[in-house]
Amino acid sequence: MIELKNVSFSYSQGQKENGLHNINLTIRQGEVVLLCGESGCGKTTLTRLINGLIPNYYEGSLTGQILINDQAIHKLQIYETAKMVGSVFQNPRSQFFNVDTTSELAFGCENRGLPAEEINRRIAETVSDFKIDMLMDRSIFQLSGGEKQKIACASVSTCHPDIFVFDEPSSNLDIAAIEDLRKLIELWKSKGKTIIIAEHRLYFLRELVDRVLYMKSGRIEKEFTAKQMKMMNLAELSSMGLRPLSLESLTRDKKNVAQRWEDVYLSNFVFSYKNITPAIKIDLLTVPKGNIVAVIGHNGAGKSTFARCLCGLEKSCKGTLDLCGEICKRRDRLRRCYMVMQDVNHQLFTESVLDEILLSMGEADTAKAESILSSLDLLPMKDLHPMSLSGGQKQRVAIASAVASEKEIILFDEPTSGLDLRHMREVSDSLKQLQQMGKTLFIISHDLELILGSCTHVLHFEKGSVIDSYPLDDIGENKIMSFFIRNAQEPADNVNSLCI
Amino acid sequence: MQKELMQSKRTPSAFVLDPRTKILLVFIGSTILIAGSAGGVMNVIRPALALLPLLLFLMIGRFKTTIKFALIYAAAYLMELYLIPLTSGLIGFLIVALSGIFTRFIPGLAIGYYLVSTTTVSEFIASMERMHVPQSIVIPFAVMFRFFPTVGEESRAIGDAMRMRGIGFSVFFKNPMAMLEYRLVPMMMSTVKIGEELSAAALTRGLGSPVKRTNICKIGFGIHDIILSIVAIAAFIGFLLF
Repeated sequence: MIELKNVSFSYSQGQKENGLHNINLTIRQGEVVLLCGESGCGKTTLTRLINGLIPNYYEGSLTGQILINDQAIHKLQIYETAKMVGSVFQNPRSQFFNVDTTSELAFGCENRGLPAEEINRRIAETVSDFKIDMLMDRSIFQLSGGEKQKIACASVSTCHPDIFVFDEPSSNLDIAAIEDLRKLIELWKSKGKTIIIAEHRLYFLRELVDRVLYMKSGRIEKEFTAKQMKMMNLAELSSMGLRPLSLESLTRDKKNVAQRWEDVYLSNFVFSYKNITPAIKIDLLTVPKGNIVAVIGHNGAGKSTFARCLCGLEKSCKGTLDLCGEICKRRDRLRRCYMVMQDVNHQLFTESVLDEILLSMGEADTAKAESILSSLDLLPMKDLHPMSLSGGQKQRVAIASAVASEKEIILFDEPTSGLDLRHMREVSDSLKQLQQMGKTLFIISHDLELILGSCTHVLHFEKGSVIDSYPLDDIGENKIMSFFIRNAQEPADNVNSLCI
Repeated sequence: MQKELMQSKRTPSAFVLDPRTKILLVFIGSTILIAGSAGGVMNVIRPALALLPLLLFLMIGRFKTTIKFALIYAAAYLMELYLIPLTSGLIGFLIVALSGIFTRFIPGLAIGYYLVSTTTVSEFIASMERMHVPQSIVIPFAVMFRFFPTVGEESRAIGDAMRMRGIGFSVFFKNPMAMLEYRLVPMMMSTVKIGEELSAAALTRGLGSPVKRTNICKIGFGIHDIILSIVAIAAFIGFLLF
């Protein structure tokens, strides 16, 4: 049993938000509790209280008591807490310590000094429970995000904790990998483990949770039973800033109309990695100009590779892009296209937002730069350091720099991974704004809500080729819905999951 | 595919050495080859040690690597023998320097390459723990192996972003310092963040506990280890005495 008694916490390093105020909470053994709410509501902070990272790793002022089975865990060393609580985090890339999967599974037990035979027995048990024989003895750097997250779960499981804490585990996963994650959580639930999950995506947890805590500004604002939650409709959820409870309930934004007066042609895009059959192979592809094009498909279907080739980042991909009569080879594509990366920190270089825009212009024109900034609601931040901005603002700075360099084609790689409803809508608004400027956008996304809310055309990738390309009208809506919903029911195991 | 500093996967082979033997060979081999004098018994020991990496690579069936090292070493050795007496002046000096460096460093490098290319990170960590190296040294080593590919990944992503922004030679010629800054600042930002998340994850899995860590990685000495260690130690004694 976990008990929080009058717990308040604020981070020492000037983060005013994200703290907690006067939390009282009891979680029974074997319960599955979902923490939801907008970004910055304090749900991550609450998970850190339970796994001991607060106050041992993240410093701040803590009052109140946190008890696990009547033991005050805020007074324990973190390695003591680690025996009771296992944690899975958001970013699959940064939560493994070893370079191979088997050592990673052993890691927690090795730290506790368990005998080697016992560790090997536990690894064998976990491998058969999770059905991950295929992933053993592999380099972690060659796994896909979903596979990494599975290894993270498995390595927590070998430690046999009674409590599992998840901090936005699905953020970087595609629909099929989320289904795998759901099955793992189901397995632990059936074994009577206590599970606490902080999440934005709710649909995959609908049938698993026993209780939902809705948090706002560091307080537990509302509490629902699983039954009450299922009764809520889309409007109620969205008024609380929550994502939908089922993919089926989503509908297309009818105001977005696919436009088609000019086309962009892509021809002969062929690219392969060493020793692997072509990663992408596109003979001729027609894309309507001035549209927001959703790029969908399984992990490993070649979506990211396609984006890299289109941007001219892959030297050996010789395809041409026909922009209304203008033939663009690789170097021209590098000049005409821009990709907003998943980790936007990689593409901000200067000391102020304004400099960032000026850097992208051929000739520095401050007035024009400011007008671009104001069109993306960034003018008040023009003198701030880009790294001091929030994630969404950084993304808009990256977009602004693309606008400043007069790029015509802008690609987005998973622009809404790990975002709550409000921030997802902000992204959606920025996309529409770019469309109005006449840009052609490609959005690689697993976020059905974003796609239905903003896109006007769909490219469906499978095994490196485009197997379908259709406008997102009524018929298109049915097609994409059935793809996502079918996907959410299929296991990811049969998908080519080689991470490239 | 990622470049990795050491292996993450074991390559099956009948000839397996314990990482500790490999470390011993690297130390003794490079010490003798770099610091050893010429003449006397050293005339036997040095060529023998130079042949050692060739033998090692042959045993695991890496013929291409064997041939490459053999050719480089033979070229340097022949230069030392035949070209030096024929030349003088600057060219002579260059040849002395080059052949000297190559004959002295190449075998050591080759043994080192053998160590890195046949040892998995977990074997290496396990052997450090067996040798009672303190945790405060072992863990940074483990983190370094873990981080090396990550830094590569990040650096490539930043390079891509720079190319898309057209930050290239033109900026470099105008302001080389700015170029350095554009590369380093995002790099530091993202590696610091990854490092922070990594430490948090490692702590929640009990790293830093005062109990003695176990290691499931099986390492141990076999007949090959014993033979090679005896040879290496004998060579070292020869080096000390003569």
